[in-house]
Amino acid sequence: MATATSEAPAARTASAAAKPAPRLGASVRVTVFYLLLLIIAIIFMAPYVLSIFAAFKPLSAILSQSPLRPPSPPTLANFRAIFTQYGFWRYLGNTLMVTVILTAGQVTFSLMGAYAFARMEFPGRNALFWVYLATLMVPNVVTMVPLYVLFSHSGLLNTYWAIFLPYVLGTPYAVFLMRQYLMTIPKEVMEAARLDGCSESYILRRIIVPISRPIIITATLLAFVFGWNNFLWPLIVTNSNQFQVLTVGISNFESNFTVQWNLVLAGSLVALVPMVILFAIFQKHIVNSISLTGINR
Amino acid sequence: MSVATAATGLLPKRGRAAAIPTADRGRVRTAFLLLLPSLVGVALFLVIPVIMVIFLSLTRWNLLTPLKWVGLSNYVNIFRFDGMGNSLLVTAYYVLLNIPIQTVVALGLALLLRSKRPGSGVVRTIAVLPFLATPVAMAVVWNWFFSPTTGIINQFLAHLGITGPAWLSNAATAMPVVAFANIWQYAGYNMLFFLAGLQAIPPSMYEAASLDGASKWQQFRQVTLPLLRPTMLFVLVTGVIGSFQVFDTVYVMTAGGPGNATEVVNLNIYNTAFAGFRIGEASAMSVVLFLVILAVTVVQFRYFNKRTTYEIA
Repeated sequence: MATATSEAPAARTASAAAKPAPRLGASVRVTVFYLLLLIIAIIFMAPYVLSIFAAFKPLSAILSQSPLRPPSPPTLANFRAIFTQYGFWRYLGNTLMVTVILTAGQVTFSLMGAYAFARMEFPGRNALFWVYLATLMVPNVVTMVPLYVLFSHSGLLNTYWAIFLPYVLGTPYAVFLMRQYLMTIPKEVMEAARLDGCSESYILRRIIVPISRPIIITATLLAFVFGWNNFLWPLIVTNSNQFQVLTVGISNFESNFTVQWNLVLAGSLVALVPMVILFAIFQKHIVNSISLTGINR
Repeated sequence: MSVATAATGLLPKRGRAAAIPTADRGRVRTAFLLLLPSLVGVALFLVIPVIMVIFLSLTRWNLLTPLKWVGLSNYVNIFRFDGMGNSLLVTAYYVLLNIPIQTVVALGLALLLRSKRPGSGVVRTIAVLPFLATPVAMAVVWNWFFSPTTGIINQFLAHLGITGPAWLSNAATAMPVVAFANIWQYAGYNMLFFLAGLQAIPPSMYEAASLDGASKWQQFRQVTLPLLRPTMLFVLVTGVIGSFQVFDTVYVMTAGGPGNATEVVNLNIYNTAFAGFRIGEASAMSVVLFLVILAVTVVQFRYFNKRTTYEIA
């Protein structure tokens, strides 16, 4: 990144020298640039800012005041209502639990599979890897109905298991992602450890995991965001409040309380804000891993 | 697992030559044990369902009564009775609204925000943030923005003396609003791929072009766009595959309405399978959608292969 962008101005001056100076003065160009930046920032921030404003106002203020006006004084009544009266504690708790289990399992089992594919010899390895790659191309919508049939016949509908089971044993995508990373670790590292009498599980835990920290964090973030935001599958397999997650809860809540924007928006923020915090903490890593996963895909 | 690995690991080095077969067998067993969880996952939740969906699409079944073999008739009936034709058209309309605008916006953002001027880094971050936003929760926020009387958009229009439409219950505006929600969410995400693609173009290409007297626009057409082709292919293919399966935003914002103006295929499958419990028809719809996605993806790869004249190693 640094090399390419640092040389870009050179190209720009070269082209400016070759051509007659554009009519737009430099200061005008800078002004237009920052005006565009401002517009972009407003478009991407406004939904968050305005819904935060609204979530801290009583309904009457939302309906009568300008949405641009910050709440004065801010009230926590909306959040108190959705958590105590409308069961958002349960949705939040369910979501957290299911997402943590899904993430822990998916990352652990995918890493194990990725290690076997990347650095162990066994018959049928390549054929099996092709099966994984082929399943990568299957859209979710194709497996949705048969999966429902399987879960309904195993009596697993309306359980926590139903929500995370399809993703917890590792996904071909996560296996592929981590396998590509493990392939970059020199074989000699593991061979030396094997000659020293280390077991495979010791190599995996003590050598591979520390070296692979970046890709493990990437896979963890991807799995967590997926689990947190997942909607269609939990919607299909749960119909009692006891097991429902935030996304499903918000959707039901919205259709029951359509115009009570104070409550509905407060509910949405319960799902949105943790993701914003996650982004703030792992910002660099998320941006890097998006580019990385994109290239590997 | 630990037993097998311990046996492999603890072999004395002296005895290795003689013990290789046992050691190998142990290692194969370890590899198999490491693979087992993901293998079970892939088999149970991907391979078997794919086989099942084809089988189920040839049957009539409501999960309770015995399953009945009906051959290919579901594939005809979903078009005749279940609005599958409409759903495919509506989905195609959504994809055609969503993908070109999203791609142009993402590329524009990348070209603007790759600047080294202070502030562009912050705005880059702000533009990527929606990628993590829970689509269902965002859809609720958009419902508020676009609600006919209490919504921000129409309040703002009222200030200008314009009476805004009932955005989401109007057949002409509902789908564009849904597409807007998705563009907002994924434009910054796709921008990142274009940023990476732009960085890979050597500055010497631009220098050569400007020495030849190429204008900025010509440089964009002749250098930037051709060299961005691999990035473009990736952004388009992944975007199209995702867009054909759109569900969350449509379900929350319009529920397929008004009428069936936004009843995308995925929503139709959902209604057929989980409101109507007509598993056979819903499976047939899934297979048809899969074939459509596959065909569109193949066409995209063909097009880009033909047009990619050169590539930077």
